[in-house]
Amino acid sequence: MILDILAAATSEIPAPTGNIATDLGNTLVYKFGFNTPFFVAQCINFIIIVFVLKKFAFGPLGTMLAERRERIKAGEEKLKQIEIDLAETEKRTAAALEEANAKAKAMISEAQDSAAKLGEEKTQEAIASAQRILTKAEEAAKADREQMVAELKADFGKLVATATATVAGKVLTDADHATINAEALNVIEK
Amino acid sequence: MRFASFITKFFLFALLLTPAVAAEGGHKLPLYAEKIPGLIFTNSMIMTWLAAGVLIFFALSASKKISVVPEGFQNFAEWVVESLYDFLETILGDHLVKKTFWFFSSIFLFILVTNWLALFPGVGTFGFNMDSSHPLPFLRGGNADVNMTAALGVISSLTWLFWAIQENGIKGFLAHIFAPKGGGKGAMAVVMIIVFFVVGVLEVVSIGIRPLALTFRLFGNIYAGEQALEALLAMVPGFLKFAPPLLFYFMEILVGFIQALVFTLLTAVFLNLICDHGDEHH
Repeated sequence: MILDILAAATSEIPAPTGNIATDLGNTLVYKFGFNTPFFVAQCINFIIIVFVLKKFAFGPLGTMLAERRERIKAGEEKLKQIEIDLAETEKRTAAALEEANAKAKAMISEAQDSAAKLGEEKTQEAIASAQRILTKAEEAAKADREQMVAELKADFGKLVATATATVAGKVLTDADHATINAEALNVIEK
Repeated sequence: MRFASFITKFFLFALLLTPAVAAEGGHKLPLYAEKIPGLIFTNSMIMTWLAAGVLIFFALSASKKISVVPEGFQNFAEWVVESLYDFLETILGDHLVKKTFWFFSSIFLFILVTNWLALFPGVGTFGFNMDSSHPLPFLRGGNADVNMTAALGVISSLTWLFWAIQENGIKGFLAHIFAPKGGGKGAMAVVMIIVFFVVGVLEVVSIGIRPLALTFRLFGNIYAGEQALEALLAMVPGFLKFAPPLLFYFMEILVGFIQALVFTLLTAVFLNLICDHGDEHH
């Protein structure tokens, strides 16, 4: 059958019949070699190609492209959300910093006041302490002096009594000793 | 400027000379594809299979190691697919392109690859009786065979009909063709109904002719290109044969692309026209 049709394709085109459809069919078959089995074969070829391209190229690549578009879209949405969050965080951070600054300033001021107060207290305490030390030192010095004076007086009285006994050549009584000492001390004190 | 002028003159000269060379009984490509002796298929069918092989290789390579971050061949395949998708989306719109992209892009790639494969050395030049007035080349451009272009035209028209009815429903489909647009009252409405019915009949004739128009537009352009190349080859004897058709090869590369684009564009526009309800909303 195929050979017959092919043979027809290579033969001369029949004379026009006046029927458009028949003449067109004759032209297609006899002049241009239209052949039903080959036409069907080419249809099948093309359908197979379309099927393969759809299954192995456009399908997977289309899915991949759609997935990538979705990812980019989701990424952009996330980026926008991140930008919003970042702006909010920056705002919150700025407010927190401002609050912290104010608190820090207040604390510093408070600390400065407290330090000044403490310093003053400590200074006063030191002054008082120094004063006490000085008073004690003065008291001690005074006591030492008085003790020394007393000892000096006793020694001087003894010395005078001894000198008087030696010069007078007599043994002095306790009353003599007391009188001599008292007179000697009066002289010294004057 | 001088170069452009030279090119124009060369093409005009070649076009004028082509029929003369062919008529002299030189190397003339027959109008129809022929069966290779001893085999049950034609020389153009071999080219169709080669094109199918190239496209299947493309499809398998593209989806072999598919990943979210594209590398190597996937980049090229994605560029092809995305460019086609964006192009078809501008014609068909978001809804239709999702449904029909696979078909229109397959048509485009198939016609493009078939047209360009036909330009490879050896196609149409090796075969039986090549020096006679009735040569039989082993390979013939896939779209230089009316059976192939008719298959494309008929399948495109059938898919058009299927999607047109699917989108509009049978009633909507018929209304889209025959129903009067723009309204009107009284006698004007009757006139409009008659006018649009006649327009609808013309539209049906136009729809009926479309497969034939698509078939012969593609066949004519590709066959004419191959014929021109064959004739130009025959212009000069010996090893200088390569020179005359050289510039035409560049043009044929462009023609191959344009014809693939035109076929895809027309079928997509036809579908968009029948599925477009924009006029009903305004």
